[in-house]
Amino acid sequence: MPIHEKSLIRPENLKTHEELVIDGVDVSGHWSTFIESRVVSDYNEAMEDEIAALPGGENIHRCWQCGSCTNSCTVNAINPDFNPRYWIYLIRMGMEDELLRDKDIIWQCVSCNKCTYACPRDVFPEGVMKATAHWLERKGHTPKSPSMHFDEVFTEQVIKTGKIEESRTIRRFFSRTKQGLMQPWMIEMVKRLLRNLPVGLLTRMGLATFVAPKTRGWSSAAAAMQEYIDEQHEKQEQALSS
Amino acid sequence: MTKPILIVGGGPAGLAAAHSLGTVGRSSILVEKEDKLGGAPILSGYAKLVPSGEWAKDAIGGMVDRVEGDSNIKVLTGTTVTKFDGTPGNFTAEFSNGDNAQVEAAVLCSGFTHFDSINKPEWGFGTFPDVVTTTQVEQMISSGQGVRCPSDGRKPQRVAILLCVGSRDRQIGREWCSKICCTVSSNLAMEIREELPECHVYIYYMDIRTFGLYETKYYWRSQEEFKVKYIKARIAEVTSDGEKLIVKGEDTLVKRPITIPFDMVVHAIGMDPNVDNPQLADIFGVDLEEHGHIAAENRYGAMGHTSRPGVFVAGAATGPETIDDSIAQGHAAAMSVLSELHQPVDKSA
Repeated sequence: MPIHEKSLIRPENLKTHEELVIDGVDVSGHWSTFIESRVVSDYNEAMEDEIAALPGGENIHRCWQCGSCTNSCTVNAINPDFNPRYWIYLIRMGMEDELLRDKDIIWQCVSCNKCTYACPRDVFPEGVMKATAHWLERKGHTPKSPSMHFDEVFTEQVIKTGKIEESRTIRRFFSRTKQGLMQPWMIEMVKRLLRNLPVGLLTRMGLATFVAPKTRGWSSAAAAMQEYIDEQHEKQEQALSS
Repeated sequence: MTKPILIVGGGPAGLAAAHSLGTVGRSSILVEKEDKLGGAPILSGYAKLVPSGEWAKDAIGGMVDRVEGDSNIKVLTGTTVTKFDGTPGNFTAEFSNGDNAQVEAAVLCSGFTHFDSINKPEWGFGTFPDVVTTTQVEQMISSGQGVRCPSDGRKPQRVAILLCVGSRDRQIGREWCSKICCTVSSNLAMEIREELPECHVYIYYMDIRTFGLYETKYYWRSQEEFKVKYIKARIAEVTSDGEKLIVKGEDTLVKRPITIPFDMVVHAIGMDPNVDNPQLADIFGVDLEEHGHIAAENRYGAMGHTSRPGVFVAGAATGPETIDDSIAQGHAAAMSVLSELHQPVDKSA
């Protein structure tokens, strides 16, 4: 088609009807293709506030759309659809449907932070990408990412015991991401550990698998951390539900 | 005995010029066509001024008091100049009240006229009561009434400010940038957000020209502290669905048409040349520049010269100007008058 606007029409917005009669006029078939409107008909003011309430998103309102983030973006160089400048705009104007079209690539930010150093307004686009990915998860638009699962089991363990016990972290991570524990590389690793580690160390490791070691006097530190986390979480929940 | 200097216009520039001359003991006649001094900031009821944040009635009111209390200055309100003849050092001015005076020089501080939004009918002013101008919002704030929709007095929940209304628009013969509207609008947006924190303010712009130090104090601050939203779009039309105003245009950054409901639309009106400029040019025998402002000449050797020796100009009479710069130009023109009268300089200096 010789008009450049054709590129603006998304395939899903082209509507053809097998059989449709409007006011006695037959508009069936390919020759009566309709185009769904692209008009922005309202701003959703809640969306920016929601994402700004998540860690990293705080400065999104500073953006003046210069495009430095997109120009400096590592991922954009590979995938032109990865456009932080554009997403920041959609979020600020509350164009949720439009943002959701890209929900499966937003999380691909590699956190190289080139945008962070390029941004003249200190919007912290890398943080905004992270906040947006979390927002998509918490709103149920995307499943929890493996890295989110890992962060959760890791944090839970630290708060509970003050220590990291690797085998427990791995077991829980595998179970939450629905991966089998008996993976060939895992079996091979355990075999070699049994063969090569001194007996004393093996005994302590084995014991730790069943009895979780705990930092002495940890409970007050744990309570303080938990209180802070709950506080933040409640604040975020409030922002997300308003 | 020396003759007085004639100053035309009692706004910021005229008040500054009269005061300057007074401080060196030179007498002046300050002619103002309205019945009180102060110019646009007082007559149009501006609220807080850029960049000091002082209320106009205090800041400019103080200048008025100073002039009215100065025995060197003779104030003629409700008066215009009808005739002006003579040579530098030896002019005769006739006034609308029938009097006349011998003066040494004249300083034109005749200012500007606010753009009348009725000349952009597609943006709904005059058709929908909730379409207002920046001047009206200034008045809502300065009167203490607060920002309310004129139709029913409700607090607006969403306000759109349209920039460049009567500026940068060849369609209506106004090609100039009015210079102050971007800054004034971001200042008003912050005042609206301050008074009505639940109200969202959107500014539709072609370019943002909050020049110099106004960048951080107004443009950045309005976004960073007050969460005002800026959308790059020239609005096509303002209509109504019976309840809300509907703003139509193209959001150029996402290449999409927009049709957005608003409670109130504010026109950031520009500065037209004073409607009296053709008569002033005639009476005082000075040239106008291509847009109809009084042409300023010799901008490097001295400030405030016009095409006619002995007649000077200052402030927004020369083109869109800020209050600060109008005041500075008023002082500068007074200085030019003194140096011209006492030590005539070669115009090419």
